[in-house]
Amino acid sequence: MFPQGMKKAVMDNPKKLANLIDLVNLPSTLREFMGQSQSSRLGCFKRVWLYIKENNLQDPNNQNVVNCDEKLKRILLGKSQVELVELPMLIKLHFPKAPK
Amino acid sequence: MGKIPSGFRRAATQSTLLKNNVSSSPHQPIPPLKTYQNSPKKKPIKDNASITNKSTSPIIFDSPKLSDAKSLFNSLVTTSKNTPSDPRFYNSILESFSSVSSLQDSIFFLNHMIKKHPPFSPDRSTYHILLVQSCRAPDDPSLSNVQQALNLMTTHGFPPNQVSTDIAVRSLCACGRVEHSIELIKELSAKNCPPDTYTYNFLVRHLVKNGSLSTVNFFIKDMREGFNIKPDLVTYTIMIDNVCNSKNLREATRLLGVLREEGYKPDCYVYNTIMKGYCMLSQGGEVLGVYKKMQEEGVKPDLVTYNTLIYGLSKSGRVKDAKKFLEVMAEMGHFADAVTYTSLMNGMCREGDALGALALLEKMEMKGCKPNSCTYNTLLHGLCKSRLLEKAIELYGEMKKGDIKLETGSYGTFLRALCRNGRVAYAYEVFDYAVESKSLTDVTAYSTLESTLKWLKKAREQGLIVSPE
Repeated sequence: MFPQGMKKAVMDNPKKLANLIDLVNLPSTLREFMGQSQSSRLGCFKRVWLYIKENNLQDPNNQNVVNCDEKLKRILLGKSQVELVELPMLIKLHFPKAPK
Repeated sequence: MGKIPSGFRRAATQSTLLKNNVSSSPHQPIPPLKTYQNSPKKKPIKDNASITNKSTSPIIFDSPKLSDAKSLFNSLVTTSKNTPSDPRFYNSILESFSSVSSLQDSIFFLNHMIKKHPPFSPDRSTYHILLVQSCRAPDDPSLSNVQQALNLMTTHGFPPNQVSTDIAVRSLCACGRVEHSIELIKELSAKNCPPDTYTYNFLVRHLVKNGSLSTVNFFIKDMREGFNIKPDLVTYTIMIDNVCNSKNLREATRLLGVLREEGYKPDCYVYNTIMKGYCMLSQGGEVLGVYKKMQEEGVKPDLVTYNTLIYGLSKSGRVKDAKKFLEVMAEMGHFADAVTYTSLMNGMCREGDALGALALLEKMEMKGCKPNSCTYNTLLHGLCKSRLLEKAIELYGEMKKGDIKLETGSYGTFLRALCRNGRVAYAYEVFDYAVESKSLTDVTAYSTLESTLKWLKKAREQGLIVSPE
């Protein structure tokens, strides 16, 4: 179990919050997928998840697994299958921490 | 889950104090104009309110310019033949203008209206509009505008009365000029226009909510010594409630002593507040003592008393005792409501008896008591904690059907339970619902999901949870 306070921690921590909702310039691969040049990490996650649902990319035998199509493959390290568990982490890769 | 369910909180604080307000001073007639006192409170939505409720604001001003307003008014009275003689008609016009203009311009405009259209004779509420406006400027460093409005009232034959005091104090508080409202109330008290008990208690409530305890104590002391205006039972209830909320048991005990010294006998509301205080201090077990004391003193408990009792006992792990009071309250003619049942369910879930709590849900529905979102969230949390995931999913289905919102706590617990059982896709679905139903903000919903998934990954790596494949 992680501590109860964790949920609140993100809201209270302005840096973490900014990391999640600030608009950033997207790398070219992601730009193509999103159809826009700027997005937040949260917005990007929501878009990818929506894309998975709209295109029925969840494996019919195991809903926890996504069978990537070509478009999705390009932004998720070229994997043909990803688990939903890793999805936030994979998207995070496109949003490196801002240099100080 | 040490927090008081929101439904309960409402029942215990606001309604108590409101009812208290009325019941403790039944002899005092409410001044007829008193209904007006709500209007300054609604300041932020004033524009809408004056258009929809008061129906007749014929001009909507969007320019603060005096000349524009004058010409608009001129064209109104010259073009339309049957302008009403009701002063409210003109008041709404003035009110509309005052919401965009400065006080000086409003005064000029009022004078213009009187000159241009003699059938209109301003009444007290006309000047109250100006008074409200004079109180509204949040950055005003002094009370000079307010004084100007009050002087204007006096010179036109409407010397400020208790309603004026009330309106001014509420308006000042509404825009954060607490210091000024204290200053004004003292000034008006010196001028034979003391606040009535409602105004006094309004300010006390505002002070305890936003200021420090010492400010309130100074205010009460000054009013007592300067103008012989004393706090009443409602005032003490407000203060006890506040110090209990900030877990200051010592001050609460002191206030109880003061209350007795002043010759007041604690009523049901005071006792309820004390019980609630103990619950806030996580000493729920103490409520029984308070209840006994009430019986000794012959104070009749009400629904809030029983709800607080059951809540306190449940919270301190004495569910058995709490259940007994369900019967006692029925005998006394009080119907258990959603708050009662939810408190009891909370206690049962704490004991690990989530199935019992679920059975209670059926029972309450059979008795015609509708569960609220707090009830569902308590149960969802309890079922997940007791590792009854299938039941939890079933309940979640019910919640979705009824558009019941998820709370942060139960949402997190539910996500963890789902992930622990390898139902990650389902957790995503719950995330979607939390966002769609506006239960939580996107950020909260997402960050909980993200951290839950992170936790799951780690737990799998450590072999704590076996992945289903």
